Formats: sequence, C-alpha cells, structure tokens
Amino acid sequence: MTLNLRPLLSSLLRSRTGAILVALQITIALAVMVNAVWIVSQRIADIEQPTGIDDDHMFVVAIAGLGSGFDLSSALAQDLAYLRGLPGVVAATATESAPLTGDGQGTQLFLQPGQRGRSAALGVIQTDTQGLRTLGVSLIAGRNFRPNEIQPFSKHSLEQSVPEIIVSRALAQALFPESDALGKVVYDGAGRPMTIIGVTHDFMGPVGLGNPKYQTALYPKTPGEYGAYFLLVRTVPGRLDVLMQTAERHIGASNLDRVIFFAHPLQFYHQRMIAENRNMAIFLSAITAMILAVTCLGIFGLATYNVSARTRQIGTRRAVGARRRDIIAYFMVENAFILCAGVLAGCALALATGYWLSVRYDLPRLDLYYLVGGVLFLWIVGELAAWQPARRAASVAPSVATRTV
Amino acid sequence: MLKMQDVSKVYRTDLIETHALRNFSLEVKSGQFVAVSGPSGSGKTTFLNVAGLLETFDTGIYELDGQDVSRLSDDARSRMRNEKIGFIFQSFNLIPDLDVYDNVDVPLRYRRMKAAERNQRITKALELVGLASRTKHMPSQLSGGQQQRVAIARAIAGDPALILADEPTGNLDSLMARQVMDLLEQINEMGTTIILVTHDPELARRAQRNIHVVDGLVIDSAPYERRLGADERAGAGGSMPA
Repeated sequence: MTLNLRPLLSSLLRSRTGAILVALQITIALAVMVNAVWIVSQRIADIEQPTGIDDDHMFVVAIAGLGSGFDLSSALAQDLAYLRGLPGVVAATATESAPLTGDGQGTQLFLQPGQRGRSAALGVIQTDTQGLRTLGVSLIAGRNFRPNEIQPFSKHSLEQSVPEIIVSRALAQALFPESDALGKVVYDGAGRPMTIIGVTHDFMGPVGLGNPKYQTALYPKTPGEYGAYFLLVRTVPGRLDVLMQTAERHIGASNLDRVIFFAHPLQFYHQRMIAENRNMAIFLSAITAMILAVTCLGIFGLATYNVSARTRQIGTRRAVGARRRDIIAYFMVENAFILCAGVLAGCALALATGYWLSVRYDLPRLDLYYLVGGVLFLWIVGELAAWQPARRAASVAPSVATRTV
Repeated sequence: MLKMQDVSKVYRTDLIETHALRNFSLEVKSGQFVAVSGPSGSGKTTFLNVAGLLETFDTGIYELDGQDVSRLSDDARSRMRNEKIGFIFQSFNLIPDLDVYDNVDVPLRYRRMKAAERNQRITKALELVGLASRTKHMPSQLSGGQQQRVAIARAIAGDPALILADEPTGNLDSLMARQVMDLLEQINEMGTTIILVTHDPELARRAQRNIHVVDGLVIDSAPYERRLGADERAGAGGSMPA
C-alpha cells in the first residue's frame, strides 16, 4: 500500500472542519466510555463483594420515641432483653448505624490530636458486647468490649469520650499501613484519644457515607441521642421471618410511646445496594453504547461524505495508478489521523475526568489499563466504521476521471 | 505502441444496449501524435478509456507497448496506467487539497519511488511546463491554463510512453489552448506518443494523424487535410459505417 502520509495530512488539514468535529466526538466518547466502564467495573465488583456480616440471618427494626416522656434507656434495655430471650435469636444489639442501610454515622480518625497526621474515613457502628456476635464478625486480633466499657445512654452522646474501639482490618491498614494497629491510640475530630483493642476481618458498616465501605469501627456506646435507634437481630437459619414478625408485633405493642418505622431483613438492604449498583451499571453501559454508536455514525458519516465529495478525485487517483487497496488505505489512514487526534485529546480528557471523579466522588483513581483498552477498542471500532465507505471508495471506477459532469 | 483489433465495448442496462465501440481497430506507432475526433457520442471517450485501461472491453485484442492487456488483473492495469500512460483531462482533475508539487507527486508516490528521485522528476516536469516557481500554490490559486500545465507535468513526470489527452483545451481560451498544444508538441518531439481526443479542428490539424470516429467505428485514419478533403467530397454527413 502507498500511504502518502504527508500529503494526506496536509490535505486533511486544509478541509478540517468535519474532521475536527468528529475528532471532538471521539475525544468525548473516549473520556465518557473509559470512565463509565471503569465505574461500571467498580459497581460490578461491588455487587460481587461480600458484606462480611451474616446479613442472610439478620433483621433490623427502626424505632423512634414519641414525645419528651419517652424513656429511651429503659425501652432499649427491655427490647434487648426481650429479643435476646427469644428462642432462635443468636444475638441482638442496639445501634444508631445499621450496616448496609445507608443510615448511620460516618467520621474520621487521626493519628495525632488536632486532626493532624494520617487520617482515615470510616463508618461507625455503636454497639455493646453482643455487637460482634450480632454482626457475625470475628476478631482477628485483640478482644471484644467488656460490659464496663459500654458507654451508657446520653442525650449528648456525640460529646462522650470513647476510650476503646474495635476496627476492621481495612481501617487498621488505612491508619497503620506499616505496623500493627492493635493497642495503638488514634484520635477523633475533637482530639479525644481512643485505643484500638481489637481488629476484625473486613465487614461493611453503614455504607454510602463517603467512607470506603470496609473501613468500619465499633464504638462501645448505647445509642439514642436523637431519640431513635436500630435494633439489630441475628437469628438461627430458617427463623428470620417468623422472629422478625414476632419481634415487630411485641415491640410495637409493648410501649406506645414509640413507633416502629420499619422492620426489614438486612438482605433487603443488601439487595437494594446490589440493585443500585446493577442499575447504575446498566445505565452507564447504555449511555456508553449510545455515545459509541453516535461516534461511529459520525465517523461513518464523515467518511461517506468524503467519499461522495471526492468521487472525481478517487477516479483520478485510480487513473494515475492507485490500486483499490491504495484507495482503501488512503481513507483508512485519513480516518486513523482523525482517530489519533481524537484519541490523544480523549486520553487527556479521560484522565482529567477520572481525576475529578476520584476527588469529587471519592472513586478509585482510573486504572490506566482501562484507558489503554478504551483507546484500542475505540480505534478498532472507529476504523471499522470507516471500512465500508473506504471500500465504496475503492469501487469507484478510474473512468470517472474522464467524465466531465 | 498501441494496437487495437476489432475491439468492441457495449454498455448494457436493463432496457438498452449501447454499442460504444464496434470492431474498433487502430494502430499507433511510437512517437506519433494522433488526434481522435468525431461527433458527440461517437465513442471517442470510450476509446480513450479503453486505450488508457480505465475501462475493460468486451471483445477484440488490445496490445499496449507490446503487451496484451485483455487479461490483466485490476492491480496490473493500475500498474500499467501508472508506468506507461500519462493522462491529461479536460477538467484538469487536479486534487484541490494538494499544492502543485504534491499534485505532480501523486502518480510517482503510487510507483513507490524514492523521495529524491521523485523530487528530481517533479522539478524537471514543472520546469518543462514553466511552473517551477509555483510549487506551493494551490490549484485554486492558478489560472485554467496553469492548472492544465500542472496536469501535463503530472502526466509526464512518470516518463510515460503514451500520453492520452481528453479535450485538454476544452476549458481554456484560445491563447492558453495554443500554449498547451505547443507544450504537447514539445513533449511529442521528445519521443512520447500522444493521443489527443478533441472536437477542435484546429487542434486536430496540428496532429500527425487524425482518427475520425463515428458510432464507435474508425472511419478514417489519415492526416487532417487529407481526411477533410475526403469529407468534403462525400458531403456534409461524412462516410458512415455499413
């Protein structure tokens, strides 16, 4: 094939409006496609990630007190005593942050007081000595809370000091990537010290609060600062539905100074989380497919237009010695130049968009393999889009050169 | 140089058949300057297309530079057009997005010549047509006569044995037409065979031979003056094939 790169490029630059528009389309398509595929891959990975808790056998009851006469402390104690006495209940605890629900507390811990030193975002689950058992989370180092370490109910619990905490492995590694976190002291935003007394395997806390989903800590605290709390209950297999209905009925009837907002199996929230991820993945995939289709149509349209507008020129080239494959090569290389310009700008835009998304929405930074894959994919699809017009160009007869109209 | 014997070409559609060439026979020796004339629709352009390997033919024998071209593949025809034939078109057919230099370069690139040799040939061809100082001009910046001279430079840059010119002065005024004809004669004097398709009797008169084509048949092949005399004796319609 005779490619004639220099004259081809100079010819392209002389009639560049259409080419620039298509290159821009390719730029945007690449940036959107790469980042969308990256987000979709994250969402799919999220779907496949284990929660780390025994959510198949857990349910949550959301309760709120009515009026100023509501004695939350005693109601909560009664509820827990009732639930823990039910046959088939493995463990139960009360919290302000139910895992997987999206409701709860997110915060930051620091290695030094005054919000200095390394820090990590985390989700917090307030619990008592049954927290680990209720969640189905096991310790990999350290110990569980002792009864005397559980902070009693306070209307100002946010101001309460929590001297001991249990952290997930992901949070431990985020805070102490090079050493063992057990026994180390960390600080909350107010500069209060907390000693890490236990490290658990990774588990999801109240996700969706801006924290990495496995960075979770258990605080030994009695919930209820806002007059509301969640009851988390873990049952033996096969008893969840019955026990949830029983508990809901009893709790609803036992104290009329409060209301039950809802009672749901934890699987309900897990499935909702999966559905959100799946729907987002489908939505982004559809958007990407549409943008790709429009881009391919743009490439096809420009190539088709160029072939139509240059029929005489193609005939002349054939007359002076171009073979069919030279004509195909001409249009494919011309398209490759446009793709090249679009893809180069697209790489920059994709990286910038990826960076912005990672900063703005706390997403993982764009993996460069996705960028390389996106470039190759778009290149192949873009060249395929120009293939048919190029073949049509090659079929122009050399005798077209002698036609005067 | 060119030998056609009983060459026929029929254009077919669903409804009609048009016999563009009928048993067309012609021999052109190397170095000749031949004019092909005839009324519109007589088959002149079809002859030029077949002779220039721009179109295939249905029956007959066609030898170009001693080679039977009837069974050549499309690629081989392209190569032969590139190496042996130079084309000059009525509408110049310059590529509007390329400057003068690159336009002349087009056939040479398809021959895969080295850059240095191409440069030498382009410079020589442009000097011959008097446009060596206009290499960076775009076709739109040139007059019609200049554009046709660029087309001639493109045709001769590859040093072809045969130049086929299709109404090369059809879009030019008389002064420019004369300059182009002078140039073609000059090229012919250097040994290149030229076949010129024209309506213009004045141009035909300047050729060594004049082929008159009517209804796809060669009805006369003689110097212009001799043919003109025969036509006058035969009457206004000229001689028609049986």
